[in-house]
Amino acid sequence: MNTINRNFKSIIANSGPLFLLYYLSISEIDTEFSNMFEILSFNIQIIIIYYWMLRDSSIIGSGHVFLAGIINDVVTGLPLGLSAISYLTVSFVANYIKNVTVNFSLFTDWFTFLIAIFCSNITFLILMLNFSNFTIVYSDIFYNAFFTFLFFPFFWFFFNLYKNLMKIKKDD
Amino acid sequence: MSSSRDDFTIAIRSALLQRGARQKFSLLFLFCLSLIFFFFDIYKVSGSTILRNVINDGVYRISNLATSPFKLMENTSSGTKKLIYVYKENSRLKKELEKLKSKDLQVEFLQIQNKSLKKTLETDIKTDRNNIIAKVLLDKSSPYLKSIIVNRGSRSGVLKGMPVLDGSYLIGKIVEVNYLSSRVLLLNDLNSRIPVTFGSDAIQAILTGNGSKKPKLEYLPEQFISLGNQKVFTSGKDGIFLPGIPVGLTEPLNDEATVRLYSDPNQLSFVNIEIANNQKEIF
Repeated sequence: MNTINRNFKSIIANSGPLFLLYYLSISEIDTEFSNMFEILSFNIQIIIIYYWMLRDSSIIGSGHVFLAGIINDVVTGLPLGLSAISYLTVSFVANYIKNVTVNFSLFTDWFTFLIAIFCSNITFLILMLNFSNFTIVYSDIFYNAFFTFLFFPFFWFFFNLYKNLMKIKKDD
Repeated sequence: MSSSRDDFTIAIRSALLQRGARQKFSLLFLFCLSLIFFFFDIYKVSGSTILRNVINDGVYRISNLATSPFKLMENTSSGTKKLIYVYKENSRLKKELEKLKSKDLQVEFLQIQNKSLKKTLETDIKTDRNNIIAKVLLDKSSPYLKSIIVNRGSRSGVLKGMPVLDGSYLIGKIVEVNYLSSRVLLLNDLNSRIPVTFGSDAIQAILTGNGSKKPKLEYLPEQFISLGNQKVFTSGKDGIFLPGIPVGLTEPLNDEATVRLYSDPNQLSFVNIEIANNQKEIF
């Protein structure tokens, strides 16, 4: 009984980031704060995907990343698959960095996150500009990428704390 | 040199093809799948539209449910704030009502005069207008698209291009219709273009969304001098919108003019979709 209880708690704790990723994609809680500060908007989904793919890819599977992207496209009205490709690009960079790096620290993660954002936005822009009729304001995309990059350390600490708590739960 | 290139290739290949405990699909497979979805959606391959409509309806409903706790919190706090100001508002409204009553008679006179003038001009276009009320399911902001989702679709007779109002003020038009829901492109979206008319000289212009709360007026006459607080209405020149739908008030901005919309696009909970009978889908 105790083991079942512990397993259940562990499953719940492990599903936290995945739940957050899906919830942010499906709910209308947006990370665009133009009401408070005109240029403030950032993309938490990318931060979640990058951090957890880099640190513990067993928490967020690529299939879930793909599905979250599809849901996000439906909710925001973008062509189906566009966000999924963008998110998968972030996963790919995270996987690559994981394969070639031994030591992880906030600064290495933060620096490599810049590459992930760059690749993700480039892929996004190439597909958007060449295949859809959407008009894009480049400054908005730049601000979004900039604030996503800027807020990364804050979420890094938060997720690190969460990861440590999960570890303690497992050890119990 | 050769060894470092090999390492690079191995790392790339591993990142693309690796599968683990929860990685049931390789990234390469998912990339290909996403691209297939993307191109099917972009080129509207037969069957993909129906599939997209079904996915849209399902996701919008779940999304609406998922957001309901936050909406409840928002509504409670805004309700409390409203209650505080309700007394002041009440006395102000009483005064305004008195004023409006006196204006009402004036309006009646103008309506009769207008009818007789239209008869004279023989341009009285009879329109069979019909409104349906729709609830806003989602109003997720995005840097790419300013739109809302409403709970009326083709089942309720909604068609692409129909104007959407907040009360009697224009807020946007229908751009995507599913069976149970539709997407409304707001006036402040970058892709929005509405022909409007304003001022005592009935100046014609195009209201263009710019992503901010105040859309711009474009294609103004030469040597146009921008004045503030002029009422902006739809001109109906595009043949999509009926003329005379109120939009907002002009605001001068350097050499340009912007429009302060009557209705705040971020504060919508119920909207009216104007269904003109015999209207065909226009987009």
